[in-house]
Amino acid sequence: MSKSDLSPKTLKPIAQGRSAHYVMAGIGVAAMLALLSVVLPLAVQGLPRLNMDFLFKPPRELGGGGIGPEILNTLIMVGLSQCISLPLAIIIAIYRVEYDHIRHLARWFDQGLQIVLSLPTMVIGLIVVDVAIVRWHWPISVESGILVLSLINWPFAVFLTVQVLQRIPDEWREASRALGASRWQTITRLILPVAWADIIELTGLTVARLMGETAALIYTAGLNVTSRFAFSAPGETVAVHLWYIRTEGLMPDADQVAAATGLVLLLLVIAVLWVSQKFAEWVKNANL
Amino acid sequence: MTRTSDETTPDIEVHQLSVWYGQTPALRNVNLNISAGQILAIIGPSGCGKSTFLRVLNRMIERFSDVRVEGTVRVGSFNVLDDHVDVTQLRRAVGMVFQHPNPFPMTIFDNVAYGPRIFGMRSSTQLRKTVEDSLKQAALWDEVRGKLRRGAGTLSGGQQQRLCIARALAVNPRVLLLDEPTASLDPVSAAKIEELIVQLKSQYTMVIVTHNLQQAARVSDLVAFFEQGRLIEMGNTQEMFTAPREKRTEEFLTGRFD
Repeated sequence: MSKSDLSPKTLKPIAQGRSAHYVMAGIGVAAMLALLSVVLPLAVQGLPRLNMDFLFKPPRELGGGGIGPEILNTLIMVGLSQCISLPLAIIIAIYRVEYDHIRHLARWFDQGLQIVLSLPTMVIGLIVVDVAIVRWHWPISVESGILVLSLINWPFAVFLTVQVLQRIPDEWREASRALGASRWQTITRLILPVAWADIIELTGLTVARLMGETAALIYTAGLNVTSRFAFSAPGETVAVHLWYIRTEGLMPDADQVAAATGLVLLLLVIAVLWVSQKFAEWVKNANL
Repeated sequence: MTRTSDETTPDIEVHQLSVWYGQTPALRNVNLNISAGQILAIIGPSGCGKSTFLRVLNRMIERFSDVRVEGTVRVGSFNVLDDHVDVTQLRRAVGMVFQHPNPFPMTIFDNVAYGPRIFGMRSSTQLRKTVEDSLKQAALWDEVRGKLRRGAGTLSGGQQQRLCIARALAVNPRVLLLDEPTASLDPVSAAKIEELIVQLKSQYTMVIVTHNLQQAARVSDLVAFFEQGRLIEMGNTQEMFTAPREKRTEEFLTGRFD
């Protein structure tokens, strides 16, 4: 027996079963290329326009304008609608998961939530037009937009929060209750501290979703901006502006502006997702 | 920590206890007494109502939907099945340890401090003292001192179980209910828990559900054998294991059981 026979050998993956791996990798590469073929031209076309002027100046129909008010509108509308819908969603999710003694109610609730979730956002927009704008005489404005975004986000946030709460093992609730904690104490001292990190991370997703919302905002928040922010002023968002440039806009530099606007929207979404993830990690570690 | 319930170790008295899950009976006419400071081991085949019995003693049974109970259960001064019993104080007096170690996803310190905080302990010196005492009592202090700010998940299974015992002890209970506390642990960790149970003996009235007959023989003063929701036999541990009165008990203890 030669010496080398005694030395340990490295185990390499066996060729058998590798073909599926290659197919998957191929599909993955194709998907990446498809994504890049959209993003790269966007970056090439849009990057030259991405400067302070573009980020802070109002748009101009004759070319050379920016998207400053649109960015502000987007941040305020998405931010405030989250402030309204997220707490409501958390309260509802807690009631659904932690107080689910009434089985029938829980079942009806789940069915109802599915229905509301599958409503196109456009329908919610039309409802707001009919109720808030036509009957209550709200203007086509930032505040109507906030109402729409809150309504769009609410069921989605409920759905995600319910998932988070249901993933918390019942053993922990059991241990807490067996120590003499009331249901309410269990929620405030155990369930919510444990759930925060996941709720924050998923809220990032819902924020990104609201940022990309267009259909429901076109006829509630409008296609105009004013140079000074007001809740009753028209509130075009970045995503809606993009739609506008591409369909009705007459500016000579429409291609460039559209690309740059798309890029800003993309960067905003990436930033939101990144920040929410980091924040969630931080909260998780703060618990330990 | 001031205790509002009676200071002495309580006895337990169960009279004509029956429990149903929906239409399915889980316990039928159980009568038994445990004197203060004794350890009762409950043995029996799976599904015989052992855990149900345990969960009646601190009313954790009420978490299950569709449960009906009958009879009276007295733990110290608590009339457990009474509609007006103070469940919070009852559970504070009757601690529970579960089959799977279930520490909260928090630090070791926060796990043990959870109970005292629930009952309004705010001062950090007091909390630190309670946590230290409880961990010492649970024989975990030497292993975790200086690491109290680490997550409970970093501990081994056996350590986690002792942490859960410390967490239960931190609210100063007088009774401990242990639901197969070593079933999911390796033999060495299980032996440590057993040792701990023996050490805690006489300070607490304990009820331990176990599948491990040797364990029952080693730690308990009394043994109760349940089968299909009925208490078949109960007696002094030594007598039960050497000369059981009932044939079913003997068959179970000798493994000739179907």
